[in-house]
Amino acid sequence: MLVTMSGVRLSYGRWPALDKIDMEITRGEFLVISGASGAGKTTLLRLIWMGDKPDSGFVEVGGFRSDRIRRRELPQLRRKIGIVFQDFRLLHTRTVFDNVALPLQVSGTRNRTVQKRVISLLARMGLSHRRNSFPHELSGGEQQRVAIARAMVAHPVLLLADEPTGNLDPEVSREVVELLLEINRGGTTVVMATHDPRQVPAGKGRFLFLDRGVLRGADRWTELDQDS
Amino acid sequence: MDRTGSGLMSFIRSAVREITLNLHFRPGARLITLLMVALAFVVFNTFLIISWNLQSIMDREENLVGMEVFLQRDISPGEGRVVGDLISSLPGIKSVYYVSPQEAEALFRAELPGRTDLLDVMGSDFRLPASLQIAFETEAMSQERMSELSRTIGAIEGVKDAVYGENYLPGLIKTVITIRRLVILLGIVLVSSISLVVFYTVRLSVVRRSLTVNIMRTVGAPWWFIRVPFVVEGVFMGMTGSACGLALTAVLSEVLSGAVTHRFMPLSWMTLVILLGAVTGTVGALAGSYEKER
Repeated sequence: MLVTMSGVRLSYGRWPALDKIDMEITRGEFLVISGASGAGKTTLLRLIWMGDKPDSGFVEVGGFRSDRIRRRELPQLRRKIGIVFQDFRLLHTRTVFDNVALPLQVSGTRNRTVQKRVISLLARMGLSHRRNSFPHELSGGEQQRVAIARAMVAHPVLLLADEPTGNLDPEVSREVVELLLEINRGGTTVVMATHDPRQVPAGKGRFLFLDRGVLRGADRWTELDQDS
Repeated sequence: MDRTGSGLMSFIRSAVREITLNLHFRPGARLITLLMVALAFVVFNTFLIISWNLQSIMDREENLVGMEVFLQRDISPGEGRVVGDLISSLPGIKSVYYVSPQEAEALFRAELPGRTDLLDVMGSDFRLPASLQIAFETEAMSQERMSELSRTIGAIEGVKDAVYGENYLPGLIKTVITIRRLVILLGIVLVSSISLVVFYTVRLSVVRRSLTVNIMRTVGAPWWFIRVPFVVEGVFMGMTGSACGLALTAVLSEVLSGAVTHRFMPLSWMTLVILLGAVTGTVGALAGSYEKER
C-alpha cells in the first residue's frame, strides 16, 4: 500500500474540513477524487504530502506516518511525491529549464544528471523549444505541462494533481488528463482531485467522491454518467 | 538521487545559485527596502553622534572636577611627594600631581596676570605653598565620597587644607547622571525601534516571496536550502542598509559641521551599527522564511 489514511479528521477553526477519512491507495493506481468546491479535495492532498497534519487519525505515505514523521524527514517524503497545482505555481523569474530542474537541484543531484534528465523530459513533453522561455511567455497548457514535468523530473512514486485542468480550456484539459494517464501507465501512482470527474474516461481509474469533508466510496462516475 | 561527494558540491552550487537568484529578485523592491533601512539608521546614527559629543563634553567637565591639597610650608619636595603617594593609594583617586612652590607661582602669574602685584607685595622671600592636584575616578564623584576623601586627606600629616568645588559639584554630578540616564533610555528605545523597523522591513521582503518558499517546500528542499538564501539576503540588506545610513549621516554631519561643531562617531561605534544592521536583518529574514515555511 502506498498511501493509507485511517480515521483522519482535520478542522480549520470550528468546522471539520475532513472527517472520518479511511482510504488506501495502492501502487500504480489512478485515483480520481471529485467533489464540489470546498469539499476538502485540496486538504486531502495536502495531508498526503504532509503540508498539514490531521487532528486525529494518521496518514501513512511510503513508510512515513504523519504522527511519527520528524520535521527533517519531510523533504525526504516530498521528494517521493510530485505535485501539480491548478495555478501551475511556476517561478516566474526562472526559465522553463530551471523550473523543471528545481526538484533535482534541491536534492543535490549532479549537474550533468540534471541536464540530461531535464532535457530528455522536456523533449518528451514537447517543450524542448520552450527550454529558455519564462513562464509568462507560455500558454496555460504549456505552463501546466512544465508544472507536470517539474513534478515528474525526480521520478516520484506518487503524483498529486490538484485540479490540474481548472485553468485550462477543454481541449488542453483533455491533453493534460491524457498526459497524466500516460504517466500512470509508466508506473507512477496518480491522485487527481477535480470538481469534474467526467474529464477522466470511465474505466481508467478509481473514482471517489468527497462530500463536505466526508469520503463517499461510491463509484460516482457511474452516477454522474447516468445523470448526464 | 546522486548524493556522492560531487553530489554535495552540486547541492552547495545550487544553494549558491539560489542566493544569487534571490539577490537579483525585484531590484526596485530591494532598493526601497534598502532605503527604508538606511533612513531608519540615519535617525539612529544622528542620536549616536549627539550622544558621542555629549559624552565628550561630560568627560571634559568631569575631568575638571578635582581637589587641591595645600601642603604645609615647612614640607620638603620629597615629603610632599610621599604625601602624594599616600593619597594616590586611596580608593577612588585617579591621579595625583605635585605642584612645587615655583610651579605654583608660575601658574599664578600665568592664570592671573593682572594680580601679580599681590606676590610682589609679599616680598621676594615669599613662596606660595606646594600643593597636590588630585583627579578622581568617576565612581568617586559623589558629594558624600568627595567629602569623606576631603576629611581623610585633610587628616594626613603635612596637609594643611583640602579644597574642592563643594558648591557646584552636587549640581554637576546630578546633571551628568540625569543626562547619562536619559541617553541610555533613549538609546534603548531607539535600538528597539530600529531593530523592529529593520526586522519588519526585511521580513516583509521575504514574505513577499512566499510562492518561492512554498514551491521549495513541495519539491522537498531541506530547510537550510530554503532559508540560507533569505538569511544571506537579510545580512546583505541589514549591512548594506546600515552602511548606507552611515554614509548618509556622514554627509549630513559634514554639511552641518560649519553650523554646529561636533565630532563624528568613532570607528568602534560604526562597526556596532553595521553589526546591528546585520543581526536585525538576519533575524527578520529568518522569521519571514520560517513563517512561510511552516
